[in-house]
Amino acid sequence: MQGIRTFIFLLGLILLSSFAVAQQNETRPPSILLTTQTDYEVGNAVVLEFTASEGEKPLLYCSNSYGSTLVEALLKNNVIQYKIPENITKKTGVVLWKLLQEKESVSGQFNLNPKAEVATIETYIGPPSIEAGETDYTMLVVIPTDSLDNPVPTNTKVNAKFQFLASEEKEAIFTKNLIAYKNIYSKRKSGRMLVSSESLGVNSKEFTIQVWAAIPTDFKISAKRPHNYADGNQVTTFATSVIKDKQDNVVSDGTFVTFFITTENGNILKTTGTTIKGIATSKMIHPDFKDTWNIKAYIDGMAESDTITLNYQSVIDDFDIAFTNKNRKILVGPLQSFMKQMIPDGLQVKLLIYKNNTLVDTITKTSFNGYVTFNLKPAVYQNGNYNFRVETAGIAKTFNNKKLW
Amino acid sequence: MVGLNKKILRTILISSYIMIVALIISGISALFSYLNTGADRSTMLHTEIQKIEQYAPKLIWEPLNNEGRPMDNENLNALQNDYLDAWYVKQVAYKTNKTAGIKDYYTDSARENLYAFIALNKAENTTIEATTLNHNPTLEFFSEDGQLAVVTDKDVVEYKRIFKAEKLVLETTETSTYKMVFLLEDGFWRIRHLVKESSKPFKPKTTKIETDSLIIKGINYYPKATPWNMFGDAFAKDIIANDFKIIKDAGLNSVRIFVQYDDFGKAAVNPKKLDKLKQTLDAAEEQNLKVVLTLFDFYGDYSVMNWTLNQRHAETIVSTFKDHNAIIAWDIKNEPNLDFDSRGKENVIAWLDNMIDLVKSVDTVHPVTIGWSNTQSAAILKDKVDMVSFHYYEALEHLDAAIKTMKTQIPDKPLVLQEFGISSYGGFWKPFGSSEEDQANYHKKIQEIIAANKLQFMSWTLYDFVDVPKAVVGSRPWRRNTQKHFGFIDKNGTKKASFKYISN
Repeated sequence: MQGIRTFIFLLGLILLSSFAVAQQNETRPPSILLTTQTDYEVGNAVVLEFTASEGEKPLLYCSNSYGSTLVEALLKNNVIQYKIPENITKKTGVVLWKLLQEKESVSGQFNLNPKAEVATIETYIGPPSIEAGETDYTMLVVIPTDSLDNPVPTNTKVNAKFQFLASEEKEAIFTKNLIAYKNIYSKRKSGRMLVSSESLGVNSKEFTIQVWAAIPTDFKISAKRPHNYADGNQVTTFATSVIKDKQDNVVSDGTFVTFFITTENGNILKTTGTTIKGIATSKMIHPDFKDTWNIKAYIDGMAESDTITLNYQSVIDDFDIAFTNKNRKILVGPLQSFMKQMIPDGLQVKLLIYKNNTLVDTITKTSFNGYVTFNLKPAVYQNGNYNFRVETAGIAKTFNNKKLW
Repeated sequence: MVGLNKKILRTILISSYIMIVALIISGISALFSYLNTGADRSTMLHTEIQKIEQYAPKLIWEPLNNEGRPMDNENLNALQNDYLDAWYVKQVAYKTNKTAGIKDYYTDSARENLYAFIALNKAENTTIEATTLNHNPTLEFFSEDGQLAVVTDKDVVEYKRIFKAEKLVLETTETSTYKMVFLLEDGFWRIRHLVKESSKPFKPKTTKIETDSLIIKGINYYPKATPWNMFGDAFAKDIIANDFKIIKDAGLNSVRIFVQYDDFGKAAVNPKKLDKLKQTLDAAEEQNLKVVLTLFDFYGDYSVMNWTLNQRHAETIVSTFKDHNAIIAWDIKNEPNLDFDSRGKENVIAWLDNMIDLVKSVDTVHPVTIGWSNTQSAAILKDKVDMVSFHYYEALEHLDAAIKTMKTQIPDKPLVLQEFGISSYGGFWKPFGSSEEDQANYHKKIQEIIAANKLQFMSWTLYDFVDVPKAVVGSRPWRRNTQKHFGFIDKNGTKKASFKYISN
């Protein structure tokens, strides 16, 4: 009997203690948010307060634009406080939080709104050079930010300011998608455009846009030469007229011009130059035989010139050829120019050697002091009959059946 | 005698001298060639570095309708790659609380914000494992010079696990909308501004999928010659078609086959493997057999950083075959509870949970299941799966009770006994093993229990295998030999006594 009583007593104790546990649970309701504010200005301290749940100091999870973290609780007068870290409160955007208590967790969010101030204006402008003519444009992109490096609210006014030649303009643009932008079109004239922007009293740096002339229009060319003889020595200089775009702006320096020279027998010679102040010049050595040149200049894919024609007169009418030393030494000359002066060194003289009417060899030499000498070595050109042909300055002379021995 | 000794001594001296010199020379030359290996000029340009897919959340651009310059595909691709890399380096940084890689993807001022978080979390011993599963970016603006872009990424699904002193304190999934300004610097699209515009807890949309279209009476299938390597070089449709005919003729209506994660090419699924899988499904359809396709076989890494890659793998396979007539269900993973100890139970369950969401987001028709290796785990994620599958290799006398327990735990989902069987191996390595007669008795008895409990079932397996890869059961011969003899048909093609009880 005693045993049963003790048993019932013990059973009662166990039952009671289990109630006690249950009651203790009931006295610890989950923490509830006391803070009612859900909108803060960025940069201000944010403290979330909850009713304290006995003995419990749960962590607070919070997450903003850049990352997430856990905040420890501070217990004050039956209220638990969470001081949101500075790196969260200084960035705009939504902050999601969750109280990590054992029972049903409380969660919520608050907004950190941008300040109505501009501390810096980040400006991006590009492309940095555009074409005159009111069709090409560059784009100004402005990102105004506050002192905590947050983008400003949507619809913040930004003044875009540009100066070009005599005009100074200002236009209001508004931020959207964190930025404000404006397309800046070129005028008819080429030159430099200065751009800046201003928002809430803060001004940006100055930016420069180069407005280049548009693509060139067709142009004229001219040629200048010391004389019109084909002496293979002097130089003819070609020059363009001042090349301009359709708005009369001189094309930018360095515009590449190619002169095509078509000779009488259809060969093409090419010389190039780049413009300075709209004029490109280029040079070509005179031919060394009588010729007619047709010259036309191009700026690839954009513009071309008219065609001019130049005639070059032959400088040498005739010349002598002497065979000596068993006909193995051939002396060509004197080669005399238009005033009977010895032709300048370097005139090309070609000797063609035929045996049995087939070309055996071609020897090319250049004149020195008005003469050219060919020596035909016995080891190479064996004894026998040969035909010779001498060509220079567009003249050819033929000698048949010369015997070498 | 003295002369001979001298000669021997001299020989030894000279030969040892030669040997020492040879050793020194070979040592120096080895050192020299070692020092030269790094100096290969072709490596100077780092031309061998190729892009490795390391972060591939589902990302779908909204139709391009941006202000400013029209966007082209090349720039958009570059922007997308750098944007995803920016997420990736951020996840790595918050996981390790190290700043490596941040500076490539965030501008000077933006990276300060990340550094501040890293410093804070490091000081507080907080680490965060996170990944993003879904992105829906809209290009808002692209500047005329192609150097600045603004993107709004709507409803980014972010999964996070927060650890305090290495202890998991929170697992959360959020959907957030971000607005970002990107600058093109040094060839990288870097984030200049990042503003979270809205954020809320994520709730996946799941619709209930009907499962009563078929009562599964099936078998786990591997070809006789190529178990666990079904889609390798030896793949032959006619062998599989022939086996499927045997299965159909035996009165079964379904097979369970396995897709191995690595074998199928991980995140970038190999089209050749998909073709072999299609031939297999076609063969099943020809025999009017249905297929339970088990994904992620031989995959055991559930780390959060790889989730996006795993999901691309599953997405490719599920979206390719969701309209195939042979498919009856998707089995997310075979016996994931065996990885609880080594990989962490929370990791594995979170991975499964999110994988189910993904599969259901791609295919809203076919039911999803998980092949738990025992009856105790079967209730895990019971609300997410459409049918509950479990394997049973324990003593038959406890099966009935286990089924009763499960039925009370999971009253509203169909139960599938997805693997069961017994080896008929009793040889040198296991002298007291079962015989073919024991195997037949086992199947006779278990079919009675199945019928009594109205279970759906898939037995293990059709064939005795000639060889079992070490990766399956390890290299111990008593295990490998046992595993070889679970079949209803022996390796010579003769039906064993148990074949009579292949179905009920």
